[in-house]
Amino acid sequence: MSTELADLNLNRRPVYKKWQELLISRDISNFSVEEVNNIDETIGLFDNEQHLLATGSIAGNVLKYIAIKAGHEENGAIFNQIVTELTNRLVRRGFTHFFVFTKPEYSHSFKFVGFQELASSRFGVVLEKGTTTITDYLMSLPHSPNQAEKSVAAIVMHANPFTLGHQFLVRKAAQENDLVYVFVVKNDASLFSTEERMRLVQEGTKEWKNVFVVSGADYLVSYATFPAYFLKTPDDVIKYQTTLDARIFRDLIAPALNIKKRYLGTEPFSHTTGIYNQTLLRELPPAVQPIVLERKKSAEGKLITATEVRMAIKERKVENISHFIPQTTMTFIKDNIDNLEKRIKKGMKISGN
Amino acid sequence: MTETTERLRRTMMFVPGNNPAMVKDAGIYGADSIMFDLEDAVSMNEKDSARALVYQALKTVDYGDAELVVRINGLDTPYFDNDIKAMVKAQIDVIRLPKAETAEMIKELEEKVAAAEKEFDVPAGSIHLMAAIESAKGVLNAPAIAAASDRMIGLALSAEDYTTDMKTHRYPDGAELEFARNMVLHAARAAGIAAFDTVFTNMDDTEGFYRETNYIHQLGFDGKSLVNPRQIEMVNKVYQPTKPEIENALNVIAAIKDAESKGSGVISMNGQMVDRPVVLRAQRVMKLAQAAHIVNEEGEYIEK
Amino acid sequence: MEIKNTAIAGTLESSDIQIMLSQGNNGIEIELESEVKAKFGAQINAVITETLKQYEIENAKVKAVDKGALDCVIKARTITVAQRALGIADQPAWEVF
Repeated sequence: MSTELADLNLNRRPVYKKWQELLISRDISNFSVEEVNNIDETIGLFDNEQHLLATGSIAGNVLKYIAIKAGHEENGAIFNQIVTELTNRLVRRGFTHFFVFTKPEYSHSFKFVGFQELASSRFGVVLEKGTTTITDYLMSLPHSPNQAEKSVAAIVMHANPFTLGHQFLVRKAAQENDLVYVFVVKNDASLFSTEERMRLVQEGTKEWKNVFVVSGADYLVSYATFPAYFLKTPDDVIKYQTTLDARIFRDLIAPALNIKKRYLGTEPFSHTTGIYNQTLLRELPPAVQPIVLERKKSAEGKLITATEVRMAIKERKVENISHFIPQTTMTFIKDNIDNLEKRIKKGMKISGN
Repeated sequence: MTETTERLRRTMMFVPGNNPAMVKDAGIYGADSIMFDLEDAVSMNEKDSARALVYQALKTVDYGDAELVVRINGLDTPYFDNDIKAMVKAQIDVIRLPKAETAEMIKELEEKVAAAEKEFDVPAGSIHLMAAIESAKGVLNAPAIAAASDRMIGLALSAEDYTTDMKTHRYPDGAELEFARNMVLHAARAAGIAAFDTVFTNMDDTEGFYRETNYIHQLGFDGKSLVNPRQIEMVNKVYQPTKPEIENALNVIAAIKDAESKGSGVISMNGQMVDRPVVLRAQRVMKLAQAAHIVNEEGEYIEK
Repeated sequence: MEIKNTAIAGTLESSDIQIMLSQGNNGIEIELESEVKAKFGAQINAVITETLKQYEIENAKVKAVDKGALDCVIKARTITVAQRALGIADQPAWEVF
């Protein structure tokens, strides 16, 4: 049987239909606009009668929507061909580290072509492959002498931007532990860029010498492992993604750094973050103890949220939020207000996380 | 043409240049010629990897007696020069130029091949050339193309691009290719080089394949380009000489020997003078018979 | 020579090897995945290392997934990935071929 690989243009309705039919026949059913629009490239493998035998897509650094027609799934060559082509396309796009989510029963096939499993649950597994793996990431993080004997805590934050609420969490953790890792979410899709968020966290936590501010890379609340944080997503998908995120932290990151506690702020507003916290409370113990702190209120008794800060920027009322953010963040906002406003005008969403 | 003895070229099997499994096994099917493809079978992003792969395979894999051909990328591509250098360095038997339209194109190729022979210390003139005719212009210029260089060993018709250029497509009866086939064949014969017919891609249509192969055999083509190793045996069957043809060839060859032993310059048989084309045909029939394994060491027909 | 960017070559198909090459700082470090690693791993690594040395690449990280490639295929893929990582895919180093 001769086969041919070709681009699938999902903007053409008949192509989209063919593609969707194949995926549905293989039990892949999430076709939310957000997910589909997020796809960068889709390929298809056709037989000589133009039947679609297999497909796969890439979105950012993630391989997605991979399916092989029933009756051909035992054909390893088809799978390998699809994964090879997707991998080559990712590298051409500049990604040298990539991820795939798949059903537990397909994990083996991906391992066979060089992927490593990061975490698994009943509903899915997440695997990675590429130049830097989680081992390299963990080795690149700063360590302190005799870390194994110290009490180590972690906080994961998006800090878009860094508020007094975030600072309160860090202060508590820094006072109660020998060492604190603050993991800043890496994905660059928010009003404040990754670099800016990192910098504001660093500046806002400078007074504590036992705090390491590091990037969460592709492993903590990343676009690869936890896209629901950035895209509107059904609850069951959020639960499944947060479970994998929690397990990567619990099983790979925490043990490597001797992290025994993770500090969380309560989440009264964000639905997704609310589910994330529930998942962490369920998944982390007993290996890691979650410590939940009431969300910080401003001097006037208002709940501090980064969303509120972003709204104030949009409305050019930064004085209103002086009680929400540390001086360091305020200075940055004032210095860059035009720039930030430009980003909002250009369509940057500010209402999400 | 530079060759002294004529080669059998019944089958020229296409092998995608970036497929290690196919490149490594290309020699096991018994094709007379193996054509490694760096052109259409290789996507733009993999031109470099196919070139390196075919090079390494040529250097290490034993392809037996098969004639080794590589289809390089066209003159107008950025891969042309590197393809030539790599294949000359690998000492390929034949470089096949796609989309040949003028004798000048062959001359340009020849110049670059000669330069590469010098650069890589490859014996001058050892790399042969062939051209694929894939357009109306190429068909009309076929005689000049065939005679453009002493290195030329063959012309091939490539019907997919040709029919597109002619604003048609391929039909089962092949009427749309009639003129091109005859032009390519005549150009090749006039220049004393080989003529290869185009590929037949529908693997499920065995009957159609035999019909087409019988037809081009009848016209006088040396052989056919193939995309699937399964087709090799089918072509060979069509080209297999009949028992009377072999009988006749054996008689001609015996007559040559007689003439030689008598020291006579004139070969005669059945009271007729045997001229050169008849001798050549007899030699070719015996070659075909030997390749088909239907004659024993003495050349006598093996009854099955 | 200095590796400019991470590159990949080869496929995951039968008889092939997929090689990813990126900057390193600790000699040539090869991470090989192969069904025949126990028996042929050392030989596969040797072909890769030898070829990279010919490009005067002293430090590199190599991740390879072998699907039963012959030595000539391993060499070809290493050449391709090296040429790409060095940013000279269109200027083959003929002495290495």
